Amino acid sequence: MQFPLLLNPHETACELIDLNRKVLKGIENLSRIREQDIQAGASPKEEIYREDNLVLYHFTPMVDQPFRVPILIVYALVNRPYMVDLQEDRSLVRNLLKLGMDVYLIDWGYPGRADRWLTLDDYINGYINNCVDAVRERHGGDPINILSICQGGTLSLCYTALHPDKVKNLITMVTPVDFHVKEGFANLWAGCDAGPKGMNFDALVDAFGNIPGEFMNLGFLMMKPFQLGLGKYLEMIDILDNEEKLRNFLRMEEWIFDSPDQAGEAYRQFMKDFYQGNKLIKGEVKIGGKPVDLSKVRVPVLNVYAEEDHLVPPPSSIALQRYIGSTDYTLRSFPVGHIGMYVSGKVQRDLPPTIAQWLKERG
Amino acid sequence: MHWTEQTETMVKALSETQKQMWKNWCDLMPGVPSPTSVYSNVANQISEEAAEGFKAWTAESGQVVKDVAERLLTTQSEMLRFLELSLRAWKAIAPQIESGEDWETILRNFTENLREQLLQFPQETQKAFQDIDELWRLYREQWKGLVQPWAESLRRAPWHAGQASTGNGSALIEFTNLYWDAYERTFGRMLESPSLGYTRELNEDLLKGFDAWLVYRRASFEYQVTLCETWVQAFEEFMRQRVALAQKGETVPGVRKLLFLWIEVVEHVFAEVFRSEEYIRIQGNLVNTATAYRLCEREIVDAFLKTSHLASRSELDEAYRRIYELGKDMKELKKSLQAIKGELSTPISHEAAGGKPPDLPKDTA
Repeated sequence: MQFPLLLNPHETACELIDLNRKVLKGIENLSRIREQDIQAGASPKEEIYREDNLVLYHFTPMVDQPFRVPILIVYALVNRPYMVDLQEDRSLVRNLLKLGMDVYLIDWGYPGRADRWLTLDDYINGYINNCVDAVRERHGGDPINILSICQGGTLSLCYTALHPDKVKNLITMVTPVDFHVKEGFANLWAGCDAGPKGMNFDALVDAFGNIPGEFMNLGFLMMKPFQLGLGKYLEMIDILDNEEKLRNFLRMEEWIFDSPDQAGEAYRQFMKDFYQGNKLIKGEVKIGGKPVDLSKVRVPVLNVYAEEDHLVPPPSSIALQRYIGSTDYTLRSFPVGHIGMYVSGKVQRDLPPTIAQWLKERG
Repeated sequence: MHWTEQTETMVKALSETQKQMWKNWCDLMPGVPSPTSVYSNVANQISEEAAEGFKAWTAESGQVVKDVAERLLTTQSEMLRFLELSLRAWKAIAPQIESGEDWETILRNFTENLREQLLQFPQETQKAFQDIDELWRLYREQWKGLVQPWAESLRRAPWHAGQASTGNGSALIEFTNLYWDAYERTFGRMLESPSLGYTRELNEDLLKGFDAWLVYRRASFEYQVTLCETWVQAFEEFMRQRVALAQKGETVPGVRKLLFLWIEVVEHVFAEVFRSEEYIRIQGNLVNTATAYRLCEREIVDAFLKTSHLASRSELDEAYRRIYELGKDMKELKKSLQAIKGELSTPISHEAAGGKPPDLPKDTA
């Protein structure tokens, strides 16, 4: 029997030396890259509304007569929304603009200590509603399209159920709906199975106020600690001599570790009612004192999920159809992970036309 | 060639390779001192010395570049560390396999030794639980040395994950300690401050904090043991898979490929554990006890701040709450005012429209 780990000591030595040289050369390349070289944001935009930390942007249309119903992108509160416009060749926004869409984006900003008391009511009936009104005001007061992503999708479902007259079509991307699907670590760890033995989110918020972004990030890293802590950087060795790929990698790194703190009260309610209580699908969530009844979501819905999603397991998103009142419901998926939904070449190529076509068919 | 012989050759080759790699670093970075010691722990040397070199090299770079460069360096040294560990395993079991003994038993013995090594630190901690004076000393030491701010300790998380993935037991422990670090503040000065003295209330708070700290340490111990056990389980599974494949004549073409296979196996084993009810309980307990300690800590800090004529965290929270509520009221009022203005500017009278004049808010009426 051959030695099972490595075939040839000489080849192994050569491989290690070669890798070492690559790393050294690569670090030289790395050291030349400056912060401005990896700035995210490829598409020109202007600020049209501001409230507290929030800024509402309008992207400059790329066609003379954009599609008449605008799209408002509602991103998650965790991580930053510039992921949808990371760079020229990885930009959902840019691709939608090229297809004639008129695109707006909510940037939630970074909650500070003073935002510790913000509730989900403030986010949904306050910020989202005000942004929708600001966009509607520019478009004759008609209902608009909402493109919602991840947790932003969950918030937008609540919003649409509470303000159905302001939404024409709703797109949900990688959106958690059934929080007790057991495939996802976030669901398991947050306590869908643990009951009182699970995490005590009341105490967590009482102790911290706002939940630090680093705490959130550590949780995400622990879902794949070895791949994200070691494997990713092993793979990176292959692109060290390619400055463009290196910049792309760094932009992703910047985004991954750019985690805003979470406003305490909103976090408390989201973790307790959605993750632990799974109240959204039970119709027991209350926002601003009013119950959120998903069956009141009757607008056309396009639900897009990632087949390899480890953060929002597909069954959690797919569950949506069972609870909404829409008769016009479309389900699409892509063979990628959660992050792949933003950066994969295939998704960049196929998702924007899918969205644009779906919206155009619905006027 | 026999396994023992092959393993010896590999060990020699690795040692030579490390020398060469180290030399490459020295050639490239003038700031790195020349190696003077024997190459018994070259991977660590590369990591430590080159980290110094990085500071100068990436001085002009942004934080992301610095972080990535650091992780890249760690990846390389961890690759060597993992290879060393694997070779150590083979060196231990190869002769026995050659002599026809059952390799599964041999492997189990090896990993049992590994387990003992990895769990050494938690066991020492466990012993300390039996000595109340020692615990009190540790508690106070813990407060005195609390210097790591949140961001810094957690920013280093991937580094620790990297080390943990290649058998560095202390890294596994440190990984869990990151959570602890998150609560650390420089309270040692307060405890040592002669002007403050130990009031009865503060003593009570400190004792309460001590109890909470003890509970937290036990939870942390349990968590560390779980991670260590899982790591050993993963290593055993990895070696088992490699031997089984080797017996079929399959080998791995290179170190990096080997490491990717390791990551695949270890990630799978950890994922299974992460899904278990027991792990969820242990992790939940860790977070909850750490949080409970944090709350006790806050009471002590609040007392200190009060004595120092500074606003406490609780007072600030209360002030923020009032500002938040006022802000919310203000927004509501603005909206109402806007709506009233809109209605007043419309030509149709309210009576004609069949409605009542709007109720003006008291402040604006």
